[in-house]
Amino acid sequence: MRKAAADIHRTRPEAVPREASSTSTERGIVHPVVIYPFKQPDDYSDLESLYQLVARLDADRTRYARPITVLDRKTHYAMAQDKLFLAFRGDVVAKHSDILEAWCVDTCQMWCSGLGMAFEQGGPRDVYWLIPGDFNYGTRVGREVLGRLHDLPEIVLELEQDICIGEIATDHNNSKQLIDTYGTFALLYNWFPAEAQEIRRFTERPRSEFFAVRHDFLREILTQRWYPYEQTVVMLLHAVFARKRITRFFVGNISDLPDGRESFASAMQQVERIERVLKSFWRERSLAKPGWVQEYHVLEARSEQIRRTGLTILENLSGEQA
Amino acid sequence: MNSSYHKNLRSVTFVCNATEAQSVSLVGDFNQWNAAAHPMKQMPDRSWLLGVELKHGHHRYAFLVDGGLTLDPRAQGITRNDKGERVSLVPVS
Repeated sequence: MRKAAADIHRTRPEAVPREASSTSTERGIVHPVVIYPFKQPDDYSDLESLYQLVARLDADRTRYARPITVLDRKTHYAMAQDKLFLAFRGDVVAKHSDILEAWCVDTCQMWCSGLGMAFEQGGPRDVYWLIPGDFNYGTRVGREVLGRLHDLPEIVLELEQDICIGEIATDHNNSKQLIDTYGTFALLYNWFPAEAQEIRRFTERPRSEFFAVRHDFLREILTQRWYPYEQTVVMLLHAVFARKRITRFFVGNISDLPDGRESFASAMQQVERIERVLKSFWRERSLAKPGWVQEYHVLEARSEQIRRTGLTILENLSGEQA
Repeated sequence: MNSSYHKNLRSVTFVCNATEAQSVSLVGDFNQWNAAAHPMKQMPDRSWLLGVELKHGHHRYAFLVDGGLTLDPRAQGITRNDKGERVSLVPVS
């Protein structure tokens, strides 16, 4: 625990607020935040490919801040005796990034910790780039994604966008796409119908883990309630409410690969999480409205029907016996 | 921007499959959304084609099909222009 605290706080005193030194002509820099996989894969080839990119970013200090890698303390303890992990951590991860260790209830808390730390080191023109670590970067599709990810923060900088969502194109039968079609969007249309339509004008993958976000927008989101999961959906809702500038950019295409299957249990968990977040977020925004309780009960009843229907469809498509 | 930035031009080919259209032009940040700047040429298969040289970076654009702003279904990205209209996005590297 002491080590975790030390790791978290070590960088803060060194963080120089860049706002005071910024000039009107200064171009912002990009802060890469890598989310280290919660479960360490046996094969390091994907992470090796990812950290080759991180090394290049670390070497280009005119455009990029020192990358941050967020590592869950549970991962640390699970791998504390693993020599291969310790070597990779020391020789690769720590060499090319500052490691932020934190106890996190879920991945989105890792996002919050990493983006929060980067934000405290950043300035008003800067952009924060989230890079999920648990992707098959060593594969053909992974290399394609790695080659395009840098576009996300560049788009935010060049086109003065508030958020750029990276989207991986999939076919309609990919399980993530099915979950978004029958779960995410179906529930969004119930709780936030107008905003859901606006989000879908940009993306079919509102739960994407690939995104870049501008300093001011990140400040707004960080100072509001952060959810432990489905935070991308919440950010997109905030963006639509506040009329932020949203861009979607394709970072890869996995429609021709045979993978993309998830268990029904996983689909169920994801849909239930989405519903929980949307319910909480709706209440948060509606508490000041007279009669919100009655409206909530109506929406909740519909939401349950939608969730049940969505899960029935997903169960049928998964081919699993419940 | 320095001079090398300006010299860094790449040829990009745009294709619009508006086979029934009478006129199609390419509009974007690179021509100040001027409908007359980049008229597209109709091909024997009735699609519309145009190659333009663009600077390194990301460019917002759309097709103007018989006067109507139309997204490129093959675009790599989607965003809004300064008027708030949904437009397409092309990266040039």
